Amino acid sequence: MNRLVNRRIRLFLAALGLAFVGLLLRATWLQAVRAESLSSLGQTQQRQSVTIPAGRGTLFDRSGLELALGEQATTVYANPMQITNPRRAALAVERTLGLNADRIFPTLVDRTHGFVYVARQADPAQAAALQRLKLPGFGFYPEERRNYPQRSVASQVLGFVGTDGNGLSGLELQFDHSLAGRAGKETIVKDPSGRVIDVQGERPEVPGRDVYLTLDHSIQANAEQVLRETVHKWAAKSASAIVLDPRTGAILAMAVQPGFDANRFPSAPSDLQRNRTVTDTYEPGSTFKLITVAGALSERIVTPTTRFTLPYSLQVADRVIHDAEKRGIVHYSVAQILAHSSNIGAITLAQMLGRTRLSAWITKFGFGRTTGVDFPGESPGIVLPPDKWSGSTIGNVPIGQGIAVTPVQMAAAYAAIANRGVWSRPHLVDHVAGGARPSLNRRRLVSPKIAKQLMSMLKDVVAEGTGQYAAMPGYQVAGKTGTAQKPDSRGGYATGRYVASFVGIVPASRPRFVILVAVDEPRGAIWGGTVAAPAFQQIARFDLQYLEVPPDAASGH
Amino acid sequence: MVDYVSNSRAAARARRREAAEVASFVRRLDWILLGSVAALVGYGLWAIAGITHHDVPGNQGYYLTRQSVYVVIGVLGLLIATLIDPDLYRTRWRVIFGGTSFLIAIVLLAGPIRGSKRWLDLGFFRFQPSEFGKVLFVLALAGFLAERSRRLHEVRTTLTAIGLASIPIFLVFLQPDFGSALVYCAAVGAVLFVAGTPWTHIAALAAGAVALTVLVLGALPAAGVPILKDYQQKRLTSFLNPDQDPGGTTYNITQSKNAIGAGQLRGRGVDNATQTTLNFLPEHHTDFVFASLAEERGFVGASLLLMLYLLVVWRGLRIVTLARDPFSAIVAGGLVFALLFQIFVNVGMTMGIAPITGIPLPFVSVGGSSMIANLIAIGILLSIHVRARARR
Repeated sequence: MNRLVNRRIRLFLAALGLAFVGLLLRATWLQAVRAESLSSLGQTQQRQSVTIPAGRGTLFDRSGLELALGEQATTVYANPMQITNPRRAALAVERTLGLNADRIFPTLVDRTHGFVYVARQADPAQAAALQRLKLPGFGFYPEERRNYPQRSVASQVLGFVGTDGNGLSGLELQFDHSLAGRAGKETIVKDPSGRVIDVQGERPEVPGRDVYLTLDHSIQANAEQVLRETVHKWAAKSASAIVLDPRTGAILAMAVQPGFDANRFPSAPSDLQRNRTVTDTYEPGSTFKLITVAGALSERIVTPTTRFTLPYSLQVADRVIHDAEKRGIVHYSVAQILAHSSNIGAITLAQMLGRTRLSAWITKFGFGRTTGVDFPGESPGIVLPPDKWSGSTIGNVPIGQGIAVTPVQMAAAYAAIANRGVWSRPHLVDHVAGGARPSLNRRRLVSPKIAKQLMSMLKDVVAEGTGQYAAMPGYQVAGKTGTAQKPDSRGGYATGRYVASFVGIVPASRPRFVILVAVDEPRGAIWGGTVAAPAFQQIARFDLQYLEVPPDAASGH
Repeated sequence: MVDYVSNSRAAARARRREAAEVASFVRRLDWILLGSVAALVGYGLWAIAGITHHDVPGNQGYYLTRQSVYVVIGVLGLLIATLIDPDLYRTRWRVIFGGTSFLIAIVLLAGPIRGSKRWLDLGFFRFQPSEFGKVLFVLALAGFLAERSRRLHEVRTTLTAIGLASIPIFLVFLQPDFGSALVYCAAVGAVLFVAGTPWTHIAALAAGAVALTVLVLGALPAAGVPILKDYQQKRLTSFLNPDQDPGGTTYNITQSKNAIGAGQLRGRGVDNATQTTLNFLPEHHTDFVFASLAEERGFVGASLLLMLYLLVVWRGLRIVTLARDPFSAIVAGGLVFALLFQIFVNVGMTMGIAPITGIPLPFVSVGGSSMIANLIAIGILLSIHVRARARR
């Protein structure tokens, strides 16, 4: 018996030894070889890195009114795998969030997905009502929604923000870096049921900075209203206007009609979403004659009183150019050339300047390059360099044809004349909270004396020339009309399609506003003096009154 | 006076003899076994103190206090068991067998606690008969086999032993306490093995066990006759296939392995052991206590525990060889193998090399019945050692 036991016990001992060696080997495997991956597996189920979105900055107009601001919204999502009764859930969503149950039902019933959005950035009160129902499978988290309280006012300028909070166009895009701030990061520690039991902050979020615009919501809204009426009255395709302060280049209004409601940007046609005053070019026509005259005066080729004998038409290379209205031979001073918007007169001055000096003046006034306005997608316009000019170019460019400019370039050029010859960078943003005012990039284009001479000529345009509809009681108005045929796609000009424009300066003695109005394809009348000048006058009268600018004329003009 | 003197002398002689006997008794205790069990229990208490530190908010020592009370009761049981001559069990094995079966049976009649009928609620203490049954069962079976020691080669003896054993095994299985049923089976095997049952019988039994396993886990469920509960079946088979469903069936084993791995060499300490403190690892003070220990104390702490077990089991096997009679040897063999089996299955389960069954880790898992029963088993081993034939 005893010997038998001893023999069997030895077998036992062997089994015991094997068992322990097995356990130790397994422990070594888990705790040494696989230790790293196992402990990181443990870490990831307990710790989770989350980003804390930073609140987006607000866009204020110059009076402190909010043009774009973030507001609290609740995003509702669902895990279809956890939804017990999709039909009931869809009906609850319809009742609380106002979504169509038939449309939401298929996504809730599709169990191949573990996550679906039910409503992004929904109304917080409605989402809370859904949350109170305690339906399984629904989740909620707060998210910021961009709101444009002024709705369509300045919508093309402000641009919009995507669902994920990134600026996608306009100022929202241009200043996205400042507005967005920096998202924070923290690590949360969860228990097995997913409750957060500890939060370890790693990087606090930096809220986005507010941006203060030079825009004035009243001036902007009024300009848009006037444009709306103008578009309607002349059955035009569209109309644009810029109101800027010539002393600084600050843009008080930048209006494009028709517009859209910024709160519903995805449904607006992309054509309406462009800020045409910056991104689109047009052939300016006669408003461009100011540059030709300014060049001729600055180069001391002529004085305002120099007189010319001008025929009705003129042969330039292979083209015959004539003035807009049929007339006989006239004797015009330089001032009268501008006042009556004589093509022959402007071309005569340009021929005296020559293509090289004329080109230099066009460049000096900022055409063919961007102004540096703080808006994305600015077009430089199209200006042929002098070595590319054909023989007939000298018969086109001086009168604003065969050249493409943006409204903001043209407004800035007139603002320089209004500001005693000093050009300032047109701009929409006064400053970003916590930042300095950006540079105005001032530069002198013409001497104060010549600027004064040009202002006087521009006053004559309104007083006795083509721009008489721009005149208003109590204020002296300077300005220039423009009527340009639109180029067609084949390099010629389309018949019956014009851009009627007017650029005006008011009050002429101490300029406070430069206002450009351009109307695209008006019907019934085509003339800048008929179509655009009255719109200018309406905008100017409101702005003068609104900012309480003292009158500079006794009465009449 | 003379009488008195002679009486007092006799009394003094008697006292001296008694003192000598006590001294001899104490000397013949297996002090290495006792010492290693004491170290094991102390180490277990220290481990439990760390593992359950964050379990009961506001009462860090909740489980430690309870476990300490169980240890005190268990040590009393150990002392009593050491003093009792094993012959008492041998002569009364029928009573023991009947009592054990009866106790396990009345648990089935009592109300269920936590979904299974394992406990008898005594008010101050939840008594788990199947834990004590592990010891009593070995005693009863050893008594039967010792009685038939001359007829061991007969198939009838082996079959009767199996038949007897299957009664409490079946009752425990019904509770349901699958883990304990397995331990009982292992003990039957060990008892037969040490008793000297012929190899042919043992081989037949082993083949029968394999066939039964295949039937229960594979063939019968496939034929539409489920024997095990669904969760039992999944637990048993999922360790072969650990990554199939880490959020569900294999959640426990995944978390357990993560905990052990995270411990690395030196452990993460009490406060950083997030698998344990954040309760990612379920049952970390009972069935999965080894994983928690490995997380908090690392490979060093886990191997130290295994070494202590090795010491205890080795001393136990040594006692088998020293036992004065077959009965004692069979008892010692059964107890030691049951202990070894529990250690291996529990530790193996936490490391993913054994199926998940609710077997506590001896001397470490929080639980009164298990602690007390295991200490009584050690007491019986000590008692056998004290009454051993001779020293080697």
